[in-house]
Amino acid sequence: MKSYVLYPGCVMPTEQYAYEMSIRAVLPFLEIKLVDFKGFSCCGEPIKSVNQMLSLALSARNIALAEKEGLDIFAPCPMCHLALCESKRIMDLDPSMNKKINNFLADEGLTYTGKSDIVNTVDLLYDVVGIDKIKKLAKKNLNNLKVATHYGCHLIRPSEIGRPDDSENPQKMDKILEAIGAKPIDYPEKLDCCGGLLTANRPESALTKTGQKLQRVQEQGFDAFIDTCPWCHRQYDSKQTKAGETIAARLEVPVLYLTQLLGLSFGVSKEKLGLDFNLSPIDKLNLGGK
Amino acid sequence: MGIVDLTSMGESQVKLKNEINERLSRLQDEISDFCYQCAKCTSGCEAHKLLELEPHKIVALLKRGLIDEMINSDVIWTCMSCFKCRERCPQKVAPVEILFALKNMAVASGKQIPGNYTALLQSVLSIGLIQDVKNVTTRDNKTKNRSDLSLPEISKPTDSTKFQMILSKLAVEKI
Repeated sequence: MKSYVLYPGCVMPTEQYAYEMSIRAVLPFLEIKLVDFKGFSCCGEPIKSVNQMLSLALSARNIALAEKEGLDIFAPCPMCHLALCESKRIMDLDPSMNKKINNFLADEGLTYTGKSDIVNTVDLLYDVVGIDKIKKLAKKNLNNLKVATHYGCHLIRPSEIGRPDDSENPQKMDKILEAIGAKPIDYPEKLDCCGGLLTANRPESALTKTGQKLQRVQEQGFDAFIDTCPWCHRQYDSKQTKAGETIAARLEVPVLYLTQLLGLSFGVSKEKLGLDFNLSPIDKLNLGGK
Repeated sequence: MGIVDLTSMGESQVKLKNEINERLSRLQDEISDFCYQCAKCTSGCEAHKLLELEPHKIVALLKRGLIDEMINSDVIWTCMSCFKCRERCPQKVAPVEILFALKNMAVASGKQIPGNYTALLQSVLSIGLIQDVKNVTTRDNKTKNRSDLSLPEISKPTDSTKFQMILSKLAVEKI
């Protein structure tokens, strides 16, 4: 049993409940224990355009808080994961910045020490838990469900900061899905962005990006679209109808979090995986076993 | 302390602008030495087709020091931060980082902040998160939030006054 401090971020715990529920339901099967911790703030990544220093300091503050527990950090959101990793990298490599930020943290009695590692869902499942263990737990036959994976930009780029998977040919999610009996297939638009970050100032353009990718996925006959980012999922699942309207197309692509499909394969109930919250046509998949 | 202090205040903004200026001239130095305008960044740019962002031109403009022109333009706000330009540049130039610095500079110079960035920032200041717990509609049109789902209480800064205080220190004194 390995324990992690859960760093939830903003979007997952305030609206993308399905991600949090499925993570909490699935990880115990894999002997991963999550420790909830009070006092975290936003990682700063969504407001990096406004003030990058603020983003850096907020992330360092969150890491310093988690370090008090003496555990590694699990950040399920790729945006948070990037923000925390970038902050960690700067704190570890730039002594003058380290001094400045630690000075700022001292006001709250915090110190950044750099002891804690930071993992995301994908590397936690693939590198820490491992494919063999996941394979053994897979109960329900997914019948070669043809799935398209979406990694999310922040999960794979910039590789200079140390990302969980390869920037041009990410395969870890695909391997995990293969292990539970799904059939992931590469497609030309695999690395395309969801546009989600434009929601703040150009929501229409954000939806156009979302719609364009989903339309291509639909045309290629995929059964389902699998993601791990709460921002991407909000675009592809929660706003799928709107995204379709924006590009004048009828989109009917079932979208699930990786952890939701894992849970289904392990035999976890639909309720516990938050499948109620998926607004895309997931009934088509007939996976819940009603 | 309010949103104004963090974005477009008068005197105390000088240090912030100096810091961003330093960042921009550092980036400018790197570019002058390395970028040879191959436009690989633009060919992969997620915002290029849709919103006509051309990262290689941003780099060229910075090389010529046309910072004011860029911070007065909407185009810097079309970047989706996908990081493809930074990843793929054969010379390790990072247009996306230039764009972050330019947007920061636009804000520090008191330009109007587009969209709801101000609201996001305001929310981080007041509750520590970009938004508070929402009621979410399910597939069968029920409304639920965290407390209906037996999820633990949300994690946010416990002492919000103190949190605001340290954030203001960050913005005003530049740490």
